[in-house]
Amino acid sequence: MAEINFDRVVKVYPGGNTAVQDFSLQVADGEFMVLVGPSGCGKTTALRMIAGLEEVSDGTISIGGRVVNNVLPKDRDIAMVFQNYALYPQMTVAQNMGFALKIRNVAKDEITRRVAETAKILRLSEYLDRRPKALSGGQRQRVAMGRAIVREPQAFLMDEPLSNLDAQLRVEMRTEISRIQRLLGVATIYVTHDQTEAMTMGDRVAVMRGGVLQQVATPEDLYDHPANSFVAGFIGSPPMNLLSATVVEVEGALSARFGDQSVAVPGHYRESHHLSEYVTRPLLLGVRPEDLVLATPGVEGRFSATVTLREALGSEILAHLNFGGEDAIVSDEVAAASPGAHSSRIVARLGARAQVLVGERLELTLNPERLHFFDTSTGVTLARTR
Amino acid sequence: MSVLSNPSTSSAALTPAPRASSIDVPGRNRSLARRRLGRTLIFASMILMAVVMLYPFAVMILVSFKTNAQYLIGHGSSTQTWRQINANLPVWQELWNSTVVCTLSIAIILVIGVMAGFSFAKLQFRGGNVVFLGIVSAMMVPLQAILIPEFVNIAKTGLTNNYLGAVVVYAALGTPFSIFLFTTYFRRIPDELIEAGIVDGLGYWGVLWRLALPMALPAIATVTVLQFIQIWDDLLVGLLFLQNPGERTITVGLAALAAGHTTSIPLLMAGSLVSALPAMIVYLLFQRFLVRGLTMGIDR
Amino acid sequence: MSLSASLSASTNARRRPQSSLLVKRRRRVGVLLVVPALVLVGLLIVYPIAQAVYYSFTNWDGLTTQWVGPSAWVQAFHNPTMWTALKNNAELLLSVPFALGIPLLVAVMLHQRVAGWKIFRSIYFLPTAISWVVIGLVAEHFFAYSGTLNSLLSDIGLSSVHTNMLGQENEALIALGITFIFSMIGTNTMLFLTGLATLDPSLEEAARIDGAGAWRIFRHITLPHLSRFIQLAFVMTVISAFSALFSLIFVMTGGGPGYSTTTMEFLVYQTGFNQSQFGTAALYGIILFVITALVGVVQLRLIGAKDS
Ligand SMILES: Nc1ncnc2c1ncn2[C@@H]1O[C@H](COP(=O)(O)OP(=O)(O)O)[C@@H](O)[C@H]1O
Ligand SMILES: [Mg+2]
Repeated sequence: MAEINFDRVVKVYPGGNTAVQDFSLQVADGEFMVLVGPSGCGKTTALRMIAGLEEVSDGTISIGGRVVNNVLPKDRDIAMVFQNYALYPQMTVAQNMGFALKIRNVAKDEITRRVAETAKILRLSEYLDRRPKALSGGQRQRVAMGRAIVREPQAFLMDEPLSNLDAQLRVEMRTEISRIQRLLGVATIYVTHDQTEAMTMGDRVAVMRGGVLQQVATPEDLYDHPANSFVAGFIGSPPMNLLSATVVEVEGALSARFGDQSVAVPGHYRESHHLSEYVTRPLLLGVRPEDLVLATPGVEGRFSATVTLREALGSEILAHLNFGGEDAIVSDEVAAASPGAHSSRIVARLGARAQVLVGERLELTLNPERLHFFDTSTGVTLARTR
Repeated sequence: MSVLSNPSTSSAALTPAPRASSIDVPGRNRSLARRRLGRTLIFASMILMAVVMLYPFAVMILVSFKTNAQYLIGHGSSTQTWRQINANLPVWQELWNSTVVCTLSIAIILVIGVMAGFSFAKLQFRGGNVVFLGIVSAMMVPLQAILIPEFVNIAKTGLTNNYLGAVVVYAALGTPFSIFLFTTYFRRIPDELIEAGIVDGLGYWGVLWRLALPMALPAIATVTVLQFIQIWDDLLVGLLFLQNPGERTITVGLAALAAGHTTSIPLLMAGSLVSALPAMIVYLLFQRFLVRGLTMGIDR
Repeated sequence: MSLSASLSASTNARRRPQSSLLVKRRRRVGVLLVVPALVLVGLLIVYPIAQAVYYSFTNWDGLTTQWVGPSAWVQAFHNPTMWTALKNNAELLLSVPFALGIPLLVAVMLHQRVAGWKIFRSIYFLPTAISWVVIGLVAEHFFAYSGTLNSLLSDIGLSSVHTNMLGQENEALIALGITFIFSMIGTNTMLFLTGLATLDPSLEEAARIDGAGAWRIFRHITLPHLSRFIQLAFVMTVISAFSALFSLIFVMTGGGPGYSTTTMEFLVYQTGFNQSQFGTAALYGIILFVITALVGVVQLRLIGAKDS
């Protein structure tokens, strides 16, 4: 078992396509690290570089303190679970799981013992003599896991291992994989584009975009303190509302204006978020859907918006709202830094019993303690580093 | 589809009811009758065709059970030709020779084809595509175009005095197709499977023999069957590159016997049947591999 | 930050990426695995082509070589036998439409799946397994003076017409062509049947519901669908006509009577091994190569068209 270390790693594919840029990340021994990001952002590339399947263009990768840039995959002692499982079709489940051990000349009894043991953990014992073809998707997925586990490697690498499963099985396997990883305590790097998977499974989550690491944090931190507007918009479902806004100071009191609305901003943000420097300058105001609350009559800082869409999810209601006027289009620059930024649309997560009708005008307040501010052009959070 | 007008009976049965009932009864009967006639005509033509295609086998069997005299007068039958066949045509020796030549050639064709096919399909190296195209183009070179220098070269090495002369020529002629087929086949194996093997601890050499090869069994069968029939049935290479009469293949032996002109037709037919049987058996057992090989690359 | 990132990206792009150990291994194994094929094909196919070109300019009996130069080619083109062989080849091409048409008809009939079609299929394909030496021997029996053809003719009351096709200068080539057509039926039928199997039956049904007759369906749906298969069969048949008739000629006619059934490929053999004129034989081989190469280019085009 060992920790994995990326130090300023760069990957340029032949042809000049830069897939990973200046990537530094430490994965602790036994840690479950999730790499998440939209499709094409370089997650698979990063993972394959650890496995040794892809050469490192610049920087170093080390496993257990040993630089492995020039070490063959077989000498890295890592196991990989592939997206489409890559089970050997001509071998039985047991042979698939024992193959790596067989190559390493482990004694037959030992192989049988370890395969049986692993099969038990994965509830595969009855299927050991079947070929992959005769298994269901979930079973194949578990065999792919088993093939990695039997080897007792330094680290597990998993590339979207659940993406070929149906929704329900995916949820089941999510907890299953977490359970097994905790049981074995082996450092794991898990790649997914699904932020729900990332948030539910990872000890820490690394968010990537366009080959660049955006933020590494625990799921809670990522959710509460996104480092930039991209992370804010990527994590959470529905994602954080990002509003083109302006902060103004009237008689020493701060307020944020967006669309034709205005809400008060508590004074402590002035210190914690560099807000003084941004007064009268445009910025992005971030509000999580659950931080929008139906206003009780007479409360301060109310604003109103019209319901355009109502999604009843049973446990809650998602209300898509529009406040007055045209949907002002954000500039290209802002859109590039913060996809999803708007000036007049917003989603609110309301209680299941909330009385909401499409077309109705609602009175809302923001939870003043949970506001986020981002620079418009860079998308970087205005929060001072804690 | 049919030239001879006959929608298949099954689709006639599936004709939607309203449409069927809208046709008046005599007309419907007429079209049914026409269909039946069409199918009968087809069946008759197919019988006729079968007679034509079975003709060689009928001739071989019927004529081989005559003496030469009976053949010339046109009637009578006898097993004499069969009883004496080995005196004129060393069938057992030549069947053995054919087997040896086929086995050795096919072994070379398979080993070289699997290796190169795997390399072209999965181990991209600089210039690989050009080399692949070059080798595949070699499929187009007719033996006669290189026959003369080939013969002189091989004769100089002395290989024409044993099986190897023919074996290497058959191997060279069969290898380009075999490489083409294995390359096409290996390209279908997902890269991830190979990478799984690499991460599991294999080298590329190991991946080839322990993972790719077991997956290529159908392609191996196809190449084997096609080449077996090709080499077993070939005359020209055997005729020139097996100079030692004791090492002739059955096909060469038969042609040499026929060229003698003094030989009896019944004997030639008996020999033909002996030479044809092994290839026919292989063919009937492995028909589907043959079809696959023949249409490889066009019906994907 | 985005500036420095793009800077580092561009420097990296400029620097040739250092290949990893694994990539080096892959390339090395890749080359090694191809070496045996290269040696075999290089020594036994490519090198002899170059030799053939060289020796075509010489007088060569297999042992001693005497440089002649371009006049060797001039001489060859003044040799009437070569023109006879080329003419025979050209005439044999007349059998190609039959070698394609009959199998097409047979395949379409088989595709109707009348009772016992699988047995018929096996019967039709069976001759593809046997040597053309054997087919040639049987054909000799068929066309012989006391053979099947003549007894068939007398059976239908034409005993006055007594043929001896293999013995007649102007008929032997026809007999050879007919035998060639017979020999190609199995292979081509197999090709067409595979093609028909890939035809979506709902297309025909839709056309039939639209009121199209059998001929129209064949002409406008089946034939266009089969075009690739017909092209492939055409090329294979033409190449066979130029380079696969040796066995038939060897056992049926020996190239005769006279040179009436001597084709280019047989001429190569005769000139080389009966007359020991290896240089001229090599020259004929080159001509044959050029002809088949032209046809082969068409086939590569077909493969290429399918790949894209
Ligand atoms: N073999 C390759 N050659 C060139 N570019 C590649 C290759 N593999 C991936 N890429 C590119 O690198 C980027 C990152 O790809 P990838 O790591 O697969 O992303 P992800 O797994 O996050 O979806 C993409 O732009 C992709 O097109
Ligand atoms: Mg990926």
